[in-house]
Amino acid sequence: MRFIDYIRLAIKNLGRQKSRTFLTITAITVGSLSLILMLSLLISVRQSLIDQLNNLGAFNLVTVTRDPNSADNNQIISSGNNSPSDDGKIINDATVTAVKKIPNVVSVTPILSAWVKTIKLEGQDKKIWSNVIGFDPSSNVFNLPILAGRNIKSTDMDKIVVGMRFANTYGYGNKPADLIGKKVVFIMEGGGGTPDWGALPAKPPANANKEWWDAQNNKGIELLVEIVGVADNASMDDSQNYINIEWAKRLMTQVRWESPQCDKNQPCDNTMVLTKYDQTEKSGYGSIIINVGDTAHLQSVAAEIAKLGYGVTTAQTMLDQINRIMLLVGVGLAVIGGISLFVAAIGIINTMVMATYERIREIGVMRACGATRAIIRRLFTFEAALLGFWGGVFGIIISYGLIYIAKLIVNKYGASLGNLPLEQIGTFPWWLILSVTGFTTLVGLLSGLGPAIKAARLNPVDALRYE
Amino acid sequence: MSKLIFTEQITGEKFLNSYNLGGPLIELKNVTKAYELGGEKIFALDHINLRIEKGDFIAIMGPSGSGKSTLANVIGGLDTPDEGEILVDETNISKISDSELSKYRNKKIGFIFQSYNLQPMYTALENVMVPLIFSGMSLRNREKRAWDCLKAVGMDDRSKHRPSQLSGGQRQRVCIARALANNPEIIIADEPTGNLDSKKGAEIVSLLKDLNQRDGITLIVITHDPNVAKQAKKIITIKDGRLI
Repeated sequence: MRFIDYIRLAIKNLGRQKSRTFLTITAITVGSLSLILMLSLLISVRQSLIDQLNNLGAFNLVTVTRDPNSADNNQIISSGNNSPSDDGKIINDATVTAVKKIPNVVSVTPILSAWVKTIKLEGQDKKIWSNVIGFDPSSNVFNLPILAGRNIKSTDMDKIVVGMRFANTYGYGNKPADLIGKKVVFIMEGGGGTPDWGALPAKPPANANKEWWDAQNNKGIELLVEIVGVADNASMDDSQNYINIEWAKRLMTQVRWESPQCDKNQPCDNTMVLTKYDQTEKSGYGSIIINVGDTAHLQSVAAEIAKLGYGVTTAQTMLDQINRIMLLVGVGLAVIGGISLFVAAIGIINTMVMATYERIREIGVMRACGATRAIIRRLFTFEAALLGFWGGVFGIIISYGLIYIAKLIVNKYGASLGNLPLEQIGTFPWWLILSVTGFTTLVGLLSGLGPAIKAARLNPVDALRYE
Repeated sequence: MSKLIFTEQITGEKFLNSYNLGGPLIELKNVTKAYELGGEKIFALDHINLRIEKGDFIAIMGPSGSGKSTLANVIGGLDTPDEGEILVDETNISKISDSELSKYRNKKIGFIFQSYNLQPMYTALENVMVPLIFSGMSLRNREKRAWDCLKAVGMDDRSKHRPSQLSGGQRQRVCIARALANNPEIIIADEPTGNLDSKKGAEIVSLLKDLNQRDGITLIVITHDPNVAKQAKKIITIKDGRLI
């Protein structure tokens, strides 16, 4: 029997019970639809995460953190937990020097986040939580994806590169270039002193009382900072804004009026002196970021740093983590998709069992006319596989449609959703289309196998006699 | 010798020509078939010996349950005997594989049923094409051949009709056309006139008789009807699985 005739007969036979065929295919369509949507969601989310990290060269980065036990912290460019804490070893310039000596280290920058309470655009009322990171612009460890303006230079002091979150907050998401030259206001707590930048704290009058000190302590400090660039660092926390680390150190230095210590060598005379407290000197940097140039060197550099007693995070651990999470989510989604396909498979089995019962006499006639057992088996298996195939095809067509609609909606209202990686969703790779139709066809084939084998085993004499 | 022909899976054409070797077309030797019914062994065929020559027209008669259908089925390769040999052109068809037996039914045998067994969703033409599908003929050739067969039974003007649009006699003609499709040597008809009135029945019998006389097709007809049986060259009566 010719292959084309199997197809012809299967189509003809499925056409006999149109509504039953339609319902069975619908069930498989729903099953394959859920499988496709979940898989493409998973694939695109994973891919966009990795792409965005890759764009930044993040896969060549190693982050050194204070605490060796927090090595699995997956934040590549951590905002630098430089709060005074006793955990782990202090990261200071000596560490930076030591790290630079490790083979295959291409460039190194310390990271220091500035203690700024809130920031806002000058002339606006809305304040946002600050997330201001200082890095060494001369290090070239990572190039910020600059959308407008320029990157921070080593000579910049009160200059900032803002992230897209900032630009979106003040309505400059579509015209970041317009932000260049505008000012950001840093709002800081005075705490009785000032940072080592701008106006010095007021000298306490001779008759300074508690009220005066309270007023000083509660006085906020505002600094004007010029925007020189806008960065679209979508892969990381896009609320991050960047400054020169030298300026960050100045901001982290407290200047205040204090009475010198009184002792017998230096008796108290009530004269107050201006004193500087360099927080960075005391508690060190938040972290160090190293560029190793090539992903292949990640592990060896990470091992060297671990020997120094620091915590290490590499993109590899992050990639592993992404893959682990995606695998977990993937298994969960596959189970859900699998259940709906399983239900659909039962539908196919039911349809095929009914089809074989309806056609027992016909099977007898076909056997009398020269059909072998194998032909009968193949005929019914082919029919079931065809059900699965059409279910898969319709599943793909419908998911295309759904994703097209979803994209329209996202394009219309998407700005408010931030930068969710929706662009990539529904870019079905060809292998997904092939494997989904292949899989549903296989599901159909396997579901049909049981009834088909039963049909093939029928004794032709009994089949012809069947009423 | 002919056994070799089967195992070598040669084409139908050679197979069909293989009867020119002389000797009987069909020979049954000690063919036995028994059924268990309520713990009791019932012989449908009890050591049957029978020779059918090429071009014979044989009527098999006998009461219900006598084993006449079983006899026709084992000759037609639909059923296999428990014991004994069935030689068709010197090939023992009781000992061959399912695919070889199917090929035998496809090429050598045409079946005609009392209840026609036509596929209700198919047209007359499509029904006649069924055996041709299994012999691997292309769609174009199938249509041509099926049309010729319908013409041979005088049904070419009804080729697009479905069985429900045809009378009993017309349906049986389509059934005969289907049996003729692969140009068989043997036609086995199980009660071909059982569902027809005597006039239509006589027409069908004379059509079958034509095929026997004009085309030399060996005809085996199972019947209750003495009027049908007396048209045959030879009448075999079977009772309790034995020829009498």
